[in-house]
Order: sequence, then C-alpha cells, then structure tokens
Amino acid sequence: MRRLIAFVVFLTVLPATAALATDLDELLSQGKDASYSAEQVISCSTPDGERDALIRIEQDGDELRVSSSLGDDVQITAGAGGWTLTRDDGLVAQANVDRGETEATPLYTVEERGTVEYLGRAAMAYLLIRDGEPRAELVIDDETGAVVEAVTLTIEDEVYCERRFLSLDTDAPGIEESSDASGNIPATLVDTSSLPQSVAGFELLDQYEDEDGVRFAYYSDGFFSFALFETPSAVALPEATPVELSSGLYLRVFTAGQVTYVWETRQSGMALVGDLPPDLHEAVLSEMPHPEDPGLFRRWWRALFG
Amino acid sequence: MTHPSESISAYLDGELHGSELSQLVDHLGSCGRCSAEMEDLQRVRAAVRSLPVLELPRGVVPDADPVVVPLRRHKGMWAGVAAAVVIAMIAIAALVTPDPQTSLYELNSRFGARASLDPAFGPAKIVVPPLVSE
Repeated sequence: MRRLIAFVVFLTVLPATAALATDLDELLSQGKDASYSAEQVISCSTPDGERDALIRIEQDGDELRVSSSLGDDVQITAGAGGWTLTRDDGLVAQANVDRGETEATPLYTVEERGTVEYLGRAAMAYLLIRDGEPRAELVIDDETGAVVEAVTLTIEDEVYCERRFLSLDTDAPGIEESSDASGNIPATLVDTSSLPQSVAGFELLDQYEDEDGVRFAYYSDGFFSFALFETPSAVALPEATPVELSSGLYLRVFTAGQVTYVWETRQSGMALVGDLPPDLHEAVLSEMPHPEDPGLFRRWWRALFG
Repeated sequence: MTHPSESISAYLDGELHGSELSQLVDHLGSCGRCSAEMEDLQRVRAAVRSLPVLELPRGVVPDADPVVVPLRRHKGMWAGVAAAVVIAMIAIAALVTPDPQTSLYELNSRFGARASLDPAFGPAKIVVPPLVSE
C-alpha cells in the first residue's frame, strides 16, 4: 500500500516540478540583447566586513558599460570576451579572450517563485538551488530580461551579496565601442594544465596563456565562477588580509561582489579571482596548488629576471 | 773590432762559441785594454767565489717561496675577490629591488573578459574593482 501511495505521489509531483523548472542559461540569457541604463547598489557581508558599491550599468546589446557612481571616474566596458578598465579616461587594464567548446554542466535547478513588481514594473522571481540548497534569488524584469535584483546566499542560507537596481531606464544608452586596444592582452586557449577538471562543483571550462606568461584556468558551476591564475611573479594585493586555511596561508581581499586570494608556490605566483560565496572558498582552494615558500634563490631570480 | 766588454763576460761564462769565440780570442791577443779588463773581471769573480757562505737565522727573512706565491697567484686571488664583490652586489641589488609583481587589475581584466562570455554575465555578476594606488 505504501509503495502504491509513493508511486502516485511521484507521478503527481514529477510533472509539477518539471513545469516549474527553467533552464538557468536560458533564463539568464533573456537580457543579453536588451538596452537599458540602471543604477545598482551592491552590498556584501563578507568575513572581512561589509563591502558596498554604487554603480551605473548601461547595456546596449552584448556590450555592457559599468561605471562607479562615487565620482572616481572608473569605467569598465565588457562583453563578448572583452574587458577594458579605465580611470580618468586612461587605460588601466584590458583583456580579450575566446571561449573553448566546453560547456558547464547544469548544476542548478531553477524554481519560479511567482510574479512580483519591481520599480513599478512587472518582474518574475526565481530561486536557484544547488545540491538541494538555495544559493541565489533572482528577480528578472519582464520587458528587458535584466536581473534587477540578485541575492546570493551562503550554505547557511544567509545573505552573502545583494545587488539591487535603484532605477531602470529602457532607453538605449548608445555605448561607443572602445577603440583603445593598446593594453589588450590576447590570451590563447591552451590545454596543458594539471589542474583538477572539477572542484567543489566547479567545472574547468577553459585554460589560457598569454604573452606575459600568465596562465589561467576558468571554472564555473553555471552561475558562480572563478579564475585561477599562475603568474611568473607574485601578485600585488594591497590592503589584503592574511587568512589561514587548512591548505596554508593566503592573502585575501573582498570587494563588492568579488573575492581575490593570493599566494605563492615554489614555481610561481598564484591568484584566485571570483564571485563564489565564502563557504566554497576553502573547498576550492584545498584542491589547488598549496602555498609554499619559494625560497631565497627563487626570490632573487624573480627579482633579477622577473 | 771595437772593445767588446759584453763578449768578455760571456767568454768568462763559457757562452761564446764558433766565430765569436775565435774573433774575441784574436782581439784579446792584440788589445791590451780588453785583456786587462778580462783579467780584472777574473779577479773579481774569484774574490766573490772565495767569500764564505753565511746562513741567516730563521725568522730574519720570511719563508717566502717564489714558487708558492707567484705573480699569477696574486692575479687569481684578485679575480676571486672581484667576483665575490660582484656576486655580493648582485645579491644586495636583488634584496633591495622590489619583487616584480603582477597587477590585480590585469588579473581582474582577464577574469572579467572570460566571465563576459557566460550566460550569467550581467548585472548579477559584474563588479567594479576598487582602484587603489599601485
């Protein structure tokens, strides 16, 4: 009798769950071709304290321009594998990459949480669930497909970062493409790494090497992502906090929505840059090359020859 | 033939042979000045040889062995000292020269460029890194 009841419940629940489930990539791609301007506040509760930012976002097709609203004239133009960071109209950093053929395995199930009104506009709320745990709440504007609110959660169901639009203007902002490619660092796809293919649910998608000798691997779980860098020299990380994890001693900096870890091995400088929640940091770092003292000779060598 | 004083010394040292020897012998037979010079030289040499040989007490002259400390050895020593100084200067330069460092913004740009290819890229992920003085 119990088996019969269980079977009936299974048949009843299965179609309902399938109807609610939405493909995450499809969901997030809705706003890829939209045009709008918005002001966004980012507020993150990190182990090192609160990290906040107020930014202006302008999207026109696949080009996104982000600028700081705090008057320091910082601007990012990004999209389609390009990234240009300028300050006071001067180029600070620039990169350009292609993607490989590896696709992230869907790790999230998406639950629709119903229609909501956001900034007086129709929107839909979603919950992203990874390994049975809610990891993010999204509110997506019906007309533009833009994620107007994103709340990322820790494994303890506590808020890690909140991103909320304070305004949304659907007039096309008209972004001019950046013509300054003087600092562009083209990275080449390579396949030479001994890094793990999968770590803490993150899948190794692409690996790159550029003319500066910087190698990096890009991992994603379908929503959160990080890049692991291997550099010829140590990475400068001003105002960093030393952090002792099971795999060793690291330097860490949280910004609004991003974390960076820096350490050294005998062979090279290492860095991890990503937006993954804090509860995943240790699991990821423990699978990567551990911190080691490079020794006096290697320090001399780097100091002399880079 | 002029008066060959040098040839007389060589003759007394047994270093003249052949035509040089015969020419000098002929000259000595006809030149009283040179034959007198030769007799003076012979007397001086005989007097020097007759002097007693004295042994100096130990310690008056250092045990300097010209074979043990030749000029070349000095050159080698100075070359070693110079090399040591150069190595020391390089080591000090390496210690005081700051370790070349990769900028965090360069890494951020690479991460951002790759992340911009993801479906999730957009307002839910993008962030402006704080710009601090480098």
